[in-house]
Amino acid sequence: MRANFILSEVWIGLRRNLTMTIAVIVTVAVAMALLGVGLMINAQVGLMKTFWSDKVEVSVYLCKKDSPFPTCKATPKGVSAAERGQLQQQLGALPQVAQVLFEDQAMAFENFKKTQSANSILAQVVEAKDLPESLRVKLKDPEQYQAVIDAAKGMKGVSTVIDQRAQLENFFGMLEKLRYAALAVALILVLAAILLIGNTVRLSAFNRRRETGIMRLVGASNLYIQLPFVMEGMIAGLIGGVVAAIMLIVAKVFLFEGTTSAFAVNSQLGWDSVAEVITLTMVIGVVICVLASFVTLRRYLRV
Amino acid sequence: MIHFDNVTKVYANQNRPALDHVSVDVDKGEFVFLVGPSGSGKSTFLRLILKEEKPNSGAIHVAGKDLARLSNFKVPHLRRRIGCVFQDFRLLPNKNVYENVAFALEVIGKPRRFIRKVVPEVIELVGLEGKAHRMPDELSGGEQQRVAMARAFVNRPMILLADEPTGNIDPATSIGIMKVLDRINRTGTTVVMATHDAAIVDSMRKRVVELEDGKIVRDQSRGVYGQAY
Ligand SMILES: Nc1ncnc2c1ncn2[C@@H]1O[C@H](COP(=O)(O)OP(=O)(O)OP(=O)(O)O)[C@@H](O)[C@H]1O
Ligand SMILES: [Mg+2]
Repeated sequence: MRANFILSEVWIGLRRNLTMTIAVIVTVAVAMALLGVGLMINAQVGLMKTFWSDKVEVSVYLCKKDSPFPTCKATPKGVSAAERGQLQQQLGALPQVAQVLFEDQAMAFENFKKTQSANSILAQVVEAKDLPESLRVKLKDPEQYQAVIDAAKGMKGVSTVIDQRAQLENFFGMLEKLRYAALAVALILVLAAILLIGNTVRLSAFNRRRETGIMRLVGASNLYIQLPFVMEGMIAGLIGGVVAAIMLIVAKVFLFEGTTSAFAVNSQLGWDSVAEVITLTMVIGVVICVLASFVTLRRYLRV
Repeated sequence: MIHFDNVTKVYANQNRPALDHVSVDVDKGEFVFLVGPSGSGKSTFLRLILKEEKPNSGAIHVAGKDLARLSNFKVPHLRRRIGCVFQDFRLLPNKNVYENVAFALEVIGKPRRFIRKVVPEVIELVGLEGKAHRMPDELSGGEQQRVAMARAFVNRPMILLADEPTGNIDPATSIGIMKVLDRINRTGTTVVMATHDAAIVDSMRKRVVELEDGKIVRDQSRGVYGQAY
């Protein structure tokens, strides 16, 4: 093998087909970046799910005096301490429940002030007695919230049941849709990239038909004849992969760190998983380019 | 060296065979002219030797190898032992004389040191010393054909196939080309040359195989082009 001979052939080929090569690089880069974003969303959702799973709880709000909720009709005076104890026991007896904690109005007010500190007008108007008491139910398995909610809703003295998980699920659902959209567009672009590479290689083979004709004649092996073309595809794929990697790093810094800090401080996507995604997309990009070049060559450079 | 046994070749979509039950033997070191009217199957004969085409029936042996049993994977190795020149030279226009000749060795992976040694030797053999750095468009037709011959011979093939090498060259220059072919033949290389050039065939007095409509109609040692028979 004469490495520098092959490399100079590759260089000539890439330069002759500069516009096509750039088109391939751009397509591969965008396709791989979107694929990477899809994978990163995947990892992010997984991370956030585990982060949240031991923090989510089902909040069972208790009826206050004169609560407007229809379920509170039976307890117009609000829930008494005895009734509350009973509820706590009933909930604790459910097989899915790990722990039931009581949050009184003072604690609710503290939490309210913490979460609404930005909304100063609301914080000034609302007083502790405006807030409902609640039982905070921690689950053994966070996935099994539905049974607990159903059971709690039927209990006397319960005004509403709010599952934090359902709200998170909405958010996760949105992320999931985003991921599918990214992957779908990535797939279309991969197809476009394959066609573009096929076309580039065909052009390249046509431009160099004199050279390849002579190579065949003097007995160059197929590998020697095809390698420059395959390497052209590979280099285009590699450059596309590098551009995609830069886009993914930018996405990680601006998109993921920006949005996730609002939801969960401790569930940042680590640089190690970003590196993993980048490696994977690069390998996929290069493999696609090499395979597309190879398949096209089979058709245009017969022995 | 080259052995055709009852070879028939019919191209796809053609009802007339290009070669029709051809049997011929060419020994090592021979010089053979292949003559005959246009379309009589001369180029087809040469392409079969290179395994660029496959016969429909019959067997072909080249250098002791049965081409029918030679896998596609090994065809390049066969071609390394066969040099070719054509009427249209087939040089690379963006490479100079030296690079055109060296190209044939580079693409079969020969080491650079070897290339530096043998390329000037063969350029001298074909009579182009001092013109190694000329581009093809700075050379006459005859000189371009010499470059092509240097490229065909640089890997010291056992067989040199020439398909109308003087077809684009005036008679005076053709004599020079034939001298080079004769020089190559004297190194022990078997030469098979297809040609329409009666003057050359008559002057060389080598073996002549004449084809007509794909059949061998004459095989004569020390023959001439148009024999009355
Ligand atoms: N690739 C091909 N496909 C179909 N038919 C072909 C092909 N090549 C040659 N032929 C036919 O085969 C026959 C022999 O052609 P060939 O090229 O061997 O003749 P030739 O003796 O070399 O002629 P010339 O002296 O004009 O070069 C002709 O009838 C030609 O039309
Ligand atoms: Mg011909």
